[in-house]
Amino acid sequence: MKSLWTSALVVLVVSTITVFGCGTSEREATPPSATRTAEPTDVIDEELMVALGQAKNFHRKAKVYMSDGNLAAATASVRQILSLRFPKGAPEADDVRLDARALLAKLLVSQGQVDEAMRTVEEGLASSQRESFFVANLYTVQGEIHEARAAQADSEGETGKARAAEERRAAIASYDRSIQINEKLQKQLMEQR
Amino acid sequence: MATEDDILDSPVPAPDAEATPSERAHAKTFADIIDKTIAGKTPPAMSADDRALVEVATVIRAANGQMELAAGKQRSIVEDALRQAIGGAAATSTLGGPTPIGKARAKRWVPWAISAVSTMVAAAAVLVLWLRAPKHETVTVDRPVAQMPASWTSRPADPLIGPIAREQAGAASSRIDYIFADRLDGFRERRLSPRGGTP
Repeated sequence: MKSLWTSALVVLVVSTITVFGCGTSEREATPPSATRTAEPTDVIDEELMVALGQAKNFHRKAKVYMSDGNLAAATASVRQILSLRFPKGAPEADDVRLDARALLAKLLVSQGQVDEAMRTVEEGLASSQRESFFVANLYTVQGEIHEARAAQADSEGETGKARAAEERRAAIASYDRSIQINEKLQKQLMEQR
Repeated sequence: MATEDDILDSPVPAPDAEATPSERAHAKTFADIIDKTIAGKTPPAMSADDRALVEVATVIRAANGQMELAAGKQRSIVEDALRQAIGGAAATSTLGGPTPIGKARAKRWVPWAISAVSTMVAAAAVLVLWLRAPKHETVTVDRPVAQMPASWTSRPADPLIGPIAREQAGAASSRIDYIFADRLDGFRERRLSPRGGTP
């Protein structure tokens, strides 16, 4: 009998806790909806300014190295721009990196590293998120690299003529693509104005 | 040092061994003590061994059901029970009569009733909570982002830079200067705005 009373007491206590728990939950859930404010995440913030400032400084540094004739150091400085951390989704990041790749590719070509230059350009084109004047510029640089390759092939004599012609065709295709993007974007900008 | 009277300390005799005169005398004395205890006249003084044995004997006797209430008490309890059975009230007794049959039955189902009611209340509460649980709807209140000046926002640099001429293809340093200066203007404007950057 005593154990029966104990069981009854336990059930009573558990029930009480359950009822109070339900009451508490209901109080907490009283607001029928949670309101949150849509924050503009695309404003210019400190993180973006810091990244742009660093890119600016690396370019400045590279310029000094170039004026000093130290192309290797200038190349290294420009490479550092590619690893800068920008705010996620910032369009400036894409623009700055593509522009850095264009300069990097030109520096590599001037040092005779044509294949490395082409790889740098192709990586940039593959990673671009949208069409921009910077993408168009990268196609222009790609055309220049094809021209450099054609010149190399020409220097090989008769054996390289076919390859030189092929590189020139590729250069024209790259320039055409650049012009096409530029025209499209200019048209869009004109319409927006 | 063990004496002959210390029967608990003396060596255990063989099962068929004859009782010694001392043992016989001790047994007779103990039998007298037991008789007096049963008659309700427990001797005030006895050895610790005897007291232990008397307690054991009392327990054994109680376990065998040989303890009986006094005749007066027995009669009183039986009469009370009979009186209750025919609907009469139990006689008041300092010893406390038997528990009324109805009350005993009530005592048996009351805990079950409490448990059942409590469980039902808890189940009902859970059910109510489940049925009335408010649906969490996230209402997104869009702030007027469209009213934010474009110069405050992170955006493509195409309108600022425009088409890049071939001879300027490597002039990234100049372009980053433009972009940085333009975004710095927007950043300062937003930070120094009286609204604290809120459109």
